[in-house]
Amino acid sequence: MATIKVTDLRKEFVTDTSTVVAIEDISFEVGGHEFVSVVGPSGCGKSTLLNILSGIESPSRGTVDITEGDRKAKLGYVFQSARLLPWRSVLDNLLFVQPTSGPQARERCARYLDMVQLGHTAKQYPGQLSGGMQQRVGIARAFSIEPDLLLMDEPFSHLDAITARTLRRELHTLWQETGKTVLFVTHDVSEAVELSTRILMLAKGGRLVTDMPVELPFPRDPASDEVALARADLLRRFESLDLLAA
Amino acid sequence: MRRVHDLLRHPRAARVLSWVGFVASWQLVVPLLPTELVPTPSEVAVFMWNELRMETVAPHTVYESFSLSFQRLGVGLFLAFAIGVPLGLLMGLRRRAEWFLHDFVVVGLAMPSLVWALVTGMWFGFGDLAPVMTVTLAAVTFVVINVAEGVRNVPKDLLDMSGAYGVSRYATIRHVIFPSLMPFFFAALRYGLANAWKGLVLAEVWASTEGAGWVIKFWYDAHRSQGIVGYALFFIIVAIFIERIVFGRLSGWVFRWRPSDSRQAPEPTVADPDKSAPAAVPGRQ
Repeated sequence: MATIKVTDLRKEFVTDTSTVVAIEDISFEVGGHEFVSVVGPSGCGKSTLLNILSGIESPSRGTVDITEGDRKAKLGYVFQSARLLPWRSVLDNLLFVQPTSGPQARERCARYLDMVQLGHTAKQYPGQLSGGMQQRVGIARAFSIEPDLLLMDEPFSHLDAITARTLRRELHTLWQETGKTVLFVTHDVSEAVELSTRILMLAKGGRLVTDMPVELPFPRDPASDEVALARADLLRRFESLDLLAA
Repeated sequence: MRRVHDLLRHPRAARVLSWVGFVASWQLVVPLLPTELVPTPSEVAVFMWNELRMETVAPHTVYESFSLSFQRLGVGLFLAFAIGVPLGLLMGLRRRAEWFLHDFVVVGLAMPSLVWALVTGMWFGFGDLAPVMTVTLAAVTFVVINVAEGVRNVPKDLLDMSGAYGVSRYATIRHVIFPSLMPFFFAALRYGLANAWKGLVLAEVWASTEGAGWVIKFWYDAHRSQGIVGYALFFIIVAIFIERIVFGRLSGWVFRWRPSDSRQAPEPTVADPDKSAPAAVPGRQ
């Protein structure tokens, strides 16, 4: 099981006239078969946090250790938009990120495409798919490398409500079947409550203000009383911290 | 009458009719002019047909002339890309290189091909070198500016994706950077070719004893205007063939991943490096 250990992490963006603090000295740990959602208002540093964890950006200060046992953990990343190579077929997009080539990698990629019900699109180009299908390819790509840790940055925010709900179910099934550790960024409190085992809340300025478990059994019905109560509790925390107004 | 009116509403029929009208007018008006130096279309057609049948008084056939010009064009364009691609990469990747090269690129874009043809003729004399160097000099700045712009436009989100998955540098260059540069390579090739082709003809007129440009001068010296017009039409036919058949098919294959209504390489909109000027204009003379 992958473990994330973030210690005193800080990220500043320096412009010609000012310094903007995106993440302010946060520390937390994630381990085991956890599905952790990071919630917060727009501009609170959620995506920056994932970019630092994935190595796309480097921190201004602090440390990040992502390990699987005694080795560095393998990461999969699902972005807000699918970020597929438009000039490569769907299957080739999955093959592009494989650490090794060969028939095994090809078979694995085909299997994950089947898991998101897109096996029949393997030879098509991304431009021939709908937005929801492209995002499913992005999810299949992340799972196809069989990562120890999956980072997801608001993967359903650009999709219509029905497609997003379908994909949330597919994601939950994949997470349960594969036992991966997932760090899931969202600004949608309902989504976080429906999917997560634990929720981290960031405030404007990148401060970590809440770290709460979600102790509800799966599968969770978004319309059930339990989920509604948990969502209301989270929203109250938001309001008490004046996060929504920020 | 109504049928003619309906026919003219069809774009293709209207275009054909406009050409028929133009050629017919040309054929009718020329005999009325007080000069024998303007050929009729039928005279031009007969001249071209004879040239194609290799019945010519010129020292070289149309096939030999265009073959030689194409060889010079090919070598010149190869050199333009060999020089222009590294310089374009440098300009796109390094801001200091852009500052250093910016003014030279602007001068190169603004320089008429005629000037290159004259100076290379003076420097290198008669032979292959002057036409080849004219092609290179006329095309190289279009290559530099388009490659530099292409490098600046490599999608950062795809590079970030590649980096997040730990894809090797070689695979990233091959599968992300190079394909995203393709529209800009096409733009460079298309504009560079258009400018170089005109420069080549001029260089062959001034500084060669062979090639399609030189044959135009041969017919000029012989006071055979149907020869000049006939060769001009050969040039136009070749240009249309390259544009429609070669570029059309090539871009259709390279950009086959695009939806079928947008497979043509995009029209280059590459501007002056400081982005303050309008798009680079091909074929300045």
